[in-house]
Amino acid sequence: MILSQSIAPGATVEGLAPEDLRAVAGSVPAARVALMVRDPLILIRGLCALDGRVGAILLLSHALPAETAVALAEQAGCSRILTDADIARLPSGPASAPEVETEWLMTTSGTTGMPKIVPHTLASLARSVRPHPDAVWGLIYDPTRFAGLQVVLQALIGGGRLVVAQGSPAQQVAALAGCTHLSATPTWWRRVLMLPERPQGLRQITLGGEIADQPTLSALAAAFPDARLTHIYASTEAGVGFSVKDGREGFPADYLTGDIRIEGGVLWLHGIDSGDRVERDGDRVRFLGRENGMMNIGGVKVYPEAVESVLLSVPDVVMAKVSAKRSPVTGALVMAEVKLAEGADPDAARARIQTASRAALVREAVPAIIRFVEEFHVNAAGKIVRS
Amino acid sequence: MLENSIKSVFNSVWASEKTSPPPELSADTVLLNTGLDSLGFAIFVSSLEDELGYDPFTISQDAYYPQTFAEFVAFYEKFRPAA
Repeated sequence: MILSQSIAPGATVEGLAPEDLRAVAGSVPAARVALMVRDPLILIRGLCALDGRVGAILLLSHALPAETAVALAEQAGCSRILTDADIARLPSGPASAPEVETEWLMTTSGTTGMPKIVPHTLASLARSVRPHPDAVWGLIYDPTRFAGLQVVLQALIGGGRLVVAQGSPAQQVAALAGCTHLSATPTWWRRVLMLPERPQGLRQITLGGEIADQPTLSALAAAFPDARLTHIYASTEAGVGFSVKDGREGFPADYLTGDIRIEGGVLWLHGIDSGDRVERDGDRVRFLGRENGMMNIGGVKVYPEAVESVLLSVPDVVMAKVSAKRSPVTGALVMAEVKLAEGADPDAARARIQTASRAALVREAVPAIIRFVEEFHVNAAGKIVRS
Repeated sequence: MLENSIKSVFNSVWASEKTSPPPELSADTVLLNTGLDSLGFAIFVSSLEDELGYDPFTISQDAYYPQTFAEFVAFYEKFRPAA
């Protein structure tokens, strides 16, 4: 399967010419390439031009630190990192150019250490694409992430029109006028619920990237009575898991067959440990959080250890424990409990913690709540007990 | 007065997130159009819980999301615990 040959008849992307989707690169800069592109439209052009022409495409978010991007490209055997300008300069070639099966390399997100590279193929990524020639798809997600790429492939291969919405939520809502199918995080949808302007004419609302909770699902059902409401469970590692269409949080227990099962309180998908803790409650299965303590702050994954190590680098911080505090707006917030050295000034320490966190961490990982405590529960090995 | 407490918490969250002066909140100000993003708004709601001792978003059984400042204050008023 090659992307430029799989574009549905009539599929269009607002801001791109039809030939941009069907042109392949006449020559390629390297056998394996990484793409680190800021403009989603240029990224889409690059994917169409390069799939089938290079051995591998590594998709890197433009938000990654440069040294992380270089290390990932090296690890993936990609000798070039292509940016917006490089894609714009790619020469187009004859449609009969030689073809290879391109590996699509996605990366896991998160704020600790190095993201993990997860290999896919176009066929595996496009597994859930269905024909929808009349749909107008809104792209809000980063298209280098799994959820965003799903929207792009659905529009290109399944048909319809793709609209890329950028800027603030109010600007996005304006850009999405006429959009029929829209996929975004629960945090994005909650934000739209708190704005007077609403996207009109939506037929399909999809939530993903975070656990969808009942208040958000119920409020969306009330605000968009004519739209179908679906929440998706997926992961970069396992691909699309399943979707839930009954407007209730969690998923029906009768989904638990074969490929989807619970082992030791954790959800397994296609034989892969998802790391998500779940609980069966009668005919429903509900999500309880991550096994490794990873927090999801409005769709951004944050590991407590990464935040703790920053806190511990601050003078006067003796011990630190980071956990998630539930938030009705972003699902969770980062809460830090900190023990200070004897006699330390809490106000000065708070300011130093904030400065150090903002310098070292993405915004979502900066502790929103800092509490000073006298003692922690420690176990026999001297480690702080996580509840 | 509840409205003033909410305003003062808003201003202090704004000061910690932004360098510009906080906007004047009037009855019909849409809070999420002030420039505070979702994360800022989440911190605002969490700070209000610390200050006031309750979070109407969690208490409320209705799936309701206030838009204007007046609606927001009314939402906190409705769920204020009896003294």
